[in-house]
Amino acid sequence: MNVVIASSSIDGGIGCWDLQTGAEQLRYKTCASPPHGLTTVGCRFLACSQLRDPSATSGHLLYWSWSKPQAQVKSFPAEPIKPLIANSDGTYIVGGGSSGDIYIWEVATGRLLKKWHAHYRAITCLVFSEDDSLLISGSEDGCVRVWSLFMIFDDVRRQQVSHLYEYSFTEHTLRVTDIVIGYGGGNAIIVSASEDRTCKVWSLSKGRLLRNVVFPSIIDAIAIDPGEHVFYAGSRDGKIYIAALNAESSPSDNYGLHIIGSLTDQSKPVTCLAYSAEGNLLFSGSEDGMIRVWDVKTQNITRMFRHSKGPVNNIVIVRLPYPLGRAESKSQPSSRKHELSLPPPLEKYANSSDEDMDNKAIVMLPDTIDLPSYLSSQLINDHIKQLQQQGSSAVAEMEAKRLKVDCQRSKEMFQQLRKVYDNLQEFCVNELLDEQTMEGSKGN
Amino acid sequence: MARFDQLENMYDLGLKPVMLRSLIRQYLPAENHPLNLNNSCFELPSLVSIVQTHCLLSELDSQSIDPKLINTWKSAVDDWLSCLLSLLSSDMSDKCWVGICLLGVTCQECSNQRFLSSYSIWLNKLLSHIQPPADSQLVKIASCTSLADLLTRLARFPEVKKDGNLLAGKLIQPVLKLLNEDNVEAVWEGAANLLYALIAFFPASIHHYYDKVEAAIASKILSGKYSTKTLKKLGYCLALLPKAKGDKDSWSLMMQKFMISINDHLNEAFQGVEEEAKSDEARRLLVPPGKDLPLPLGGASFKGTSSERLPTATISTLMFCCCKMLTSSYPVQVTVPVRSMLALVERLLRVDGSLPHTMLPFMTSVQQELICSELPVLHAYSLELLIAIIKGMRRQLLPHSAYIVRVVTRYFKRCSLPELRIKLYSIIRMLLVSMGVGIAIYLAPDVIENASNDLNSLGGEDIETSPANTGPATGALPQLSNRKRKHGAETGSLEEKRDAPSPKVGESNTHQMTPITVKMAALDTLEVLLTVGAASKSESWRSSIDSLLMKTAINSCKRGWGNLESNIFLPHESASVWADFQFSSLRALLTSLLAPARTRPPYLSQGLELFRRGKQEAGMKLAQFCAYALFALEVLIHPRALPLDDFYSACHNSTDGASNRFLENIYSGSRKQNTSFLSDMRRTEQGGVESHDVDLYDRWLQNENENQNENENIPVEDMKDQTSRPNDPSFTNVLEVREQEPAAANADVHMRTENEIVVQPCHLEESVPKSQGVASAKAVMSPAVGTNPEGSEIESKTPLSASDRLNDTNHDMFSCVDKVDGFDHVAGKTSSTLRNAEKGSSSMVHLDSDSSMDSFPGIVDADPDTDADSD
Repeated sequence: MNVVIASSSIDGGIGCWDLQTGAEQLRYKTCASPPHGLTTVGCRFLACSQLRDPSATSGHLLYWSWSKPQAQVKSFPAEPIKPLIANSDGTYIVGGGSSGDIYIWEVATGRLLKKWHAHYRAITCLVFSEDDSLLISGSEDGCVRVWSLFMIFDDVRRQQVSHLYEYSFTEHTLRVTDIVIGYGGGNAIIVSASEDRTCKVWSLSKGRLLRNVVFPSIIDAIAIDPGEHVFYAGSRDGKIYIAALNAESSPSDNYGLHIIGSLTDQSKPVTCLAYSAEGNLLFSGSEDGMIRVWDVKTQNITRMFRHSKGPVNNIVIVRLPYPLGRAESKSQPSSRKHELSLPPPLEKYANSSDEDMDNKAIVMLPDTIDLPSYLSSQLINDHIKQLQQQGSSAVAEMEAKRLKVDCQRSKEMFQQLRKVYDNLQEFCVNELLDEQTMEGSKGN
Repeated sequence: MARFDQLENMYDLGLKPVMLRSLIRQYLPAENHPLNLNNSCFELPSLVSIVQTHCLLSELDSQSIDPKLINTWKSAVDDWLSCLLSLLSSDMSDKCWVGICLLGVTCQECSNQRFLSSYSIWLNKLLSHIQPPADSQLVKIASCTSLADLLTRLARFPEVKKDGNLLAGKLIQPVLKLLNEDNVEAVWEGAANLLYALIAFFPASIHHYYDKVEAAIASKILSGKYSTKTLKKLGYCLALLPKAKGDKDSWSLMMQKFMISINDHLNEAFQGVEEEAKSDEARRLLVPPGKDLPLPLGGASFKGTSSERLPTATISTLMFCCCKMLTSSYPVQVTVPVRSMLALVERLLRVDGSLPHTMLPFMTSVQQELICSELPVLHAYSLELLIAIIKGMRRQLLPHSAYIVRVVTRYFKRCSLPELRIKLYSIIRMLLVSMGVGIAIYLAPDVIENASNDLNSLGGEDIETSPANTGPATGALPQLSNRKRKHGAETGSLEEKRDAPSPKVGESNTHQMTPITVKMAALDTLEVLLTVGAASKSESWRSSIDSLLMKTAINSCKRGWGNLESNIFLPHESASVWADFQFSSLRALLTSLLAPARTRPPYLSQGLELFRRGKQEAGMKLAQFCAYALFALEVLIHPRALPLDDFYSACHNSTDGASNRFLENIYSGSRKQNTSFLSDMRRTEQGGVESHDVDLYDRWLQNENENQNENENIPVEDMKDQTSRPNDPSFTNVLEVREQEPAAANADVHMRTENEIVVQPCHLEESVPKSQGVASAKAVMSPAVGTNPEGSEIESKTPLSASDRLNDTNHDMFSCVDKVDGFDHVAGKTSSTLRNAEKGSSSMVHLDSDSSMDSFPGIVDADPDTDADSD
C-alpha cells in the first residue's frame, strides 16, 4: 500500500492519504514541522522534528507509530533539529542542527553515535545516497557537502585528514533550500536548489558542477524524474518549472536556459515536491495548504488533497508493507509486536557512561527462507553404501542379529521336524507292532 | 494384456498404480519371507528413484481423472502403506529398516490428504523404534531421519501446528535419551537431524526441556572427541535452541555462554603464544565488571581436555555455533555483543605461532609446533565468524566498520595460505557490497595492492604445462598482440610493451606461487570493487586495474577454452577450475569495460574481440557469458539516455516529427544525435579518447552553449584549456600516452573529414531552423554524405561573420580545430563559442572550464547572485 504523508509548519498534524484511492487515512496529531523535517524510519514508523520557539535551547522530535494518532515517543536533542532523515532500512536517524552540527543516532537504542560540525550555519537539508553510504548536506551558508559515513565513524582516519567531507560545493551564495540525488550509486548526480534563484547540478563522481540553471524566482523544492530526463522545481511564484537534465532544451524557452516548461495552477508558492515513480505522479505542496497531484505526462492535476490552512512543507511518499487500517486488527501477533513497540527516544548527548552498550548492537537478524529438505532418500543411499561395504559395525550388528533370528528359526524348525520325525517313527513303530500282533493273532 | 493396450505412453496416469503394485511385488519382502540383504536391499535406491520420478505416491486428484483410476491408485497406495507398516512391525531389524526408510520417503511423497490423515499413526510407529528396548543402530538412525522428514512435511500445514507441537513434544525425551545414553556417534548424528527438525519447525515443543537439551549437546561439543560433521550438526541445533524460548534474553545468554567458553578454551590453548594481558582484556569485554558470570555452557563446568591436544575441535565448533546464531533468523530483535566478537576475531588472527619474548623460556618446540599446526583451522573459523558478523549486522555494522577494515587489512598483509586469502577476499567483497561507495573509497588501495600482487604472481597453472614457464609466457604475448594488430587494434602494440615486463615481475618471485583459486577470488573482488567504487575517486588506480584485468583475461584465454561441464573422472580437477578462472576473468573484464570512467575504456576493442571469440569457440556457459558481455557492451557503442516515461511525446508533440522515427533521435537533439553517432563511429573504428560518459557530459555543455538566452563570455584561458583537452587523459595516466599516440596519428585521416560534419549541424540549426528535423534525419542515415554539401556552405559563412568582430581569437580557434583532429566536440564548441562570444558577458564560465576533463575542480568563479541579476 502506497501512501502520501504531509505535514505543515503550522500545527495541522500529519495528513496521510492512500495513493490509489485518494482516501484520507489516520491523521497524526500535534505536528509543526520545519521543511525536510518529516521522515519515515524504515517504513516502520514516522519521525518528525518540531518547530519550537527559536529561543528554546533544546530540540524536539516526535515518533508516531502508524496505528495511533498520538505521538508516542518524544526526544529532546541538545539543539533544535530541522532536517531529519533515516537511512532506507531505518537503522540510523540523521538530524541537522541549527548550529551546523550533524547528529547520527542509532534507532534501536536511541544512542547518539556521532556528532560533528559540518557547516558554519544551520543545516537545511539532508539526503542519503542510493546505497546509504554517503550523506549529502545543505546549509544556510550556501554550502553543499558530501560525507562518507565510513569516514565519520573511523576515529583513526579522522585524525589524519584535514577535512572530513568528500566534497564541498560552495557555488551557491545563499541558503540551500533542497537537495535531491539521482540514480547510479557513485556516479549519480546531485541537484541542489538555493535562495540565490539557481538550481545546480553536481556530479558525485567528479565532484564538481555540471550545470547551473537560473530560475525567475526562488526555488524551494525540487523533485527529480527517475529517468533523469528532467527535474521539477517548485518556485515561490507558484509555478513548478520543468528543467532539462538529459532532455533536449531549445533556445526559445520562455523562462530561461534549460527550463523547458512549467506546471501551473495559479497557486501560492510551492513549498515541497515529491515524485512517485509508480504511475509517474508529481506531488506538490503549497502555501495554501493544498497538495496537488500532477500527471506528469499530461501535465494535468489529477487530484487535490486538502491538508490544512497553513502551508504544507513536507511531502513523503511511503510504501507500506501492509495496509494501514487493518494493521491493528488482523495482523499476525508477531508483526504486531514488531510494529507497536517503538524504539526508545533519542539521547541528548553521546554518553559514555553505559560502556557496555557501546560494545553491543541491537539487531534484527536477517530472515532466511529455505525450501524444506528431506533426508530419507539420502539416508537410504548412505546406509546401502555401508551395507555394501559390509565394513561398518552397524551392518555387522544387523547381520548378526539377522543370523541370530535365522538360527533361532532354524532351531525351531529342527525341533519341529524332529517332533514330526519322532511322531512318524512312533506311528510307524506302532503300526508295525500292531501289524505284528494282528498277524500274530491271525496266525494264532 | 488388455490393460497394456489401454496405456498410452509413460505419462499415462493409469500406469502409476500398476507400476506401484509391481514395485511392491518385486521389492518389498513379504512378512514371512526372509529378506536377502545382498539382493533386494541394494535395490532400494532404484525403488526410491522410480517412486520419486513417476510420483507414484502422489495420488493426483483432479476433475479430469477417471474416478475408477483414482480408486485403483488409492488402493495401490493403501497396499504400499500396509506393506510398509507390516515391515515396520517386523522383528527382523533389516526388514524394519527397509520399512522405516520407505516410510520416510512416503512422508515426503504422499498426497496432502493422506499425510494429514495418517501422520500421527506413522509418528507413533516410528517413535517406538527410537525408544527402548533398543533396536539396532541403523534402525534408530533411520527412524530419527524419517521422523525428521515427517516433521518437515508437517510444518508445512499451519492448521495442524498445535497438534504438531503436541506430538513433537513426545519425541524430545527419547531423543535426549539417545543423546545421553547411546554411545555411538552415528546415532547422535541421526538424533541431531531429528532435533534440528524439532527446533526449526516446532520450537514450542522444546520449551520445557531447554536446559536438558543444552546440557546434552554441550557435553558432546565440549568433549571435542567426535567427528567435525557430527559436532557441527549438534552445534547447529544448539545455536538454534534459543528459538524454543524466542525471547531476547535467551539468545544473548546463549551467545555469551558460547563466547565465554571459546575464550576459556583459547586462554588455555594460547598459553605461551600470547601475552597474559590479552586474555584478561577479552574477558573484560565479555563480562562487564560488576555483572554476574552466567552459568557455563551446558550447566555444569566441564574439564578441558588433556593438554597435549589443543581443543581445536571444541573451539571451532563453538565458533561455528556463533556463526549460525548470527545468520539464522530470530523472532525478535537481539543484542549482539559485536565488540567482543570482533575482539575475539582479532585475538585469534593476531596469534601466528611466534613466541613473545617474555614467553620464550616456557615453551617447548613441540608445543609451538602443535599450535602452529592447528592455527590455520582456527584462523579459518575466525574469518567465518567475521563473515557471519557482517551478514548478521548488515548496515548496523557501520560504527565498527573501520575497526573491521583495519583488522582485515592488517591480516591481509601477513596471510599467505590460499584458503584463508580466499576467505579474506570474500570478506572484502561483502564489506564493499554492504557498505557501498563510502567504504570503497577507503578500501580500494588495499584491495588493489593485494589483488595486483596475487594476479601478477605466477600461478600453478603455468607450471603444470611448462616447467620453464617464463619462456613460453613471454613468447606468447608479442605473438598475440601481433595478431591483434592485424585486426586493426592500434593499441595492441602498447599491450605488448606493457605485458612484456609482467612475466619478469613474476619471475623474481617464482617461489611464491599463487594458486588459481586465489586469483579467482582476487578477480571477483576487483569486479565488486569496480561495480561499487569505480565512479568515486578511482583515478589513481583505475588505469592500472583495467590493464591488469585485460592482461589476465587474455592470458586466461590464450590456451583455449576450458570446459565448465564437470568432468566425472576428475570432479574437482583443473579442467573445470580453469574454466571457472576464465569465467571470473571475463566477468571482471566486462565490469572494467562497463564501469564508469572519465576516459574511453582503453581496452574496448581487445575486449570485444575476446568476447566475440569466446562466443564462437567456448563451451556453453562461457559462450553464453560472452554473448551477454557483447550484449551489455552494445550500450557503449550506441549510448542512449532514455526517459522512464514517454515524456517527450507529451511535452513536444508538435516538434521534431521526423526525428521521432529514430530511436536515438527521440531523446537527443538532432545535433547531439550527430555527435553521438560520430563518436560511435570513432569507437568502432579504432577508438578515440572519449567514453560514453564524456559524450553525455559534452552534451550538457553543448546544450549550454547552444542556448541563446544566456549570454556568455569565454575567456581565452578557457579556450586554451579546451584545446589542450585531447591530450588531457595523458595527465592522469602516463601509461596511456603511449597508447594514444599511435591512435591519434592514425585517426588523422578519418577525422579530418568527420570534423567538418560535426561542426555543420549546429550551424544548420541556426541558419535553417525549419529544416532541422529533416537534416538530422538525413544525418542519421548517411552522416558523411547527407550533410556534407549543405554543411560546407554554411561553415564557410560562419567564420566570416565571426571574424568581423573577433579577428584574433578567431584565428586562434581555427588553428585549434586543426590541431585537435578527431575531437568533434571541441570543434562544435569552438563554433558555438564564436557565436556566444559575440553576445557579451555572463557568468557561465565555469561550465565551460569544466568541459576540460581533468581541469581542476573548484576553480569556479560563478556568482549566482549576478546570475540572477543579469536576467
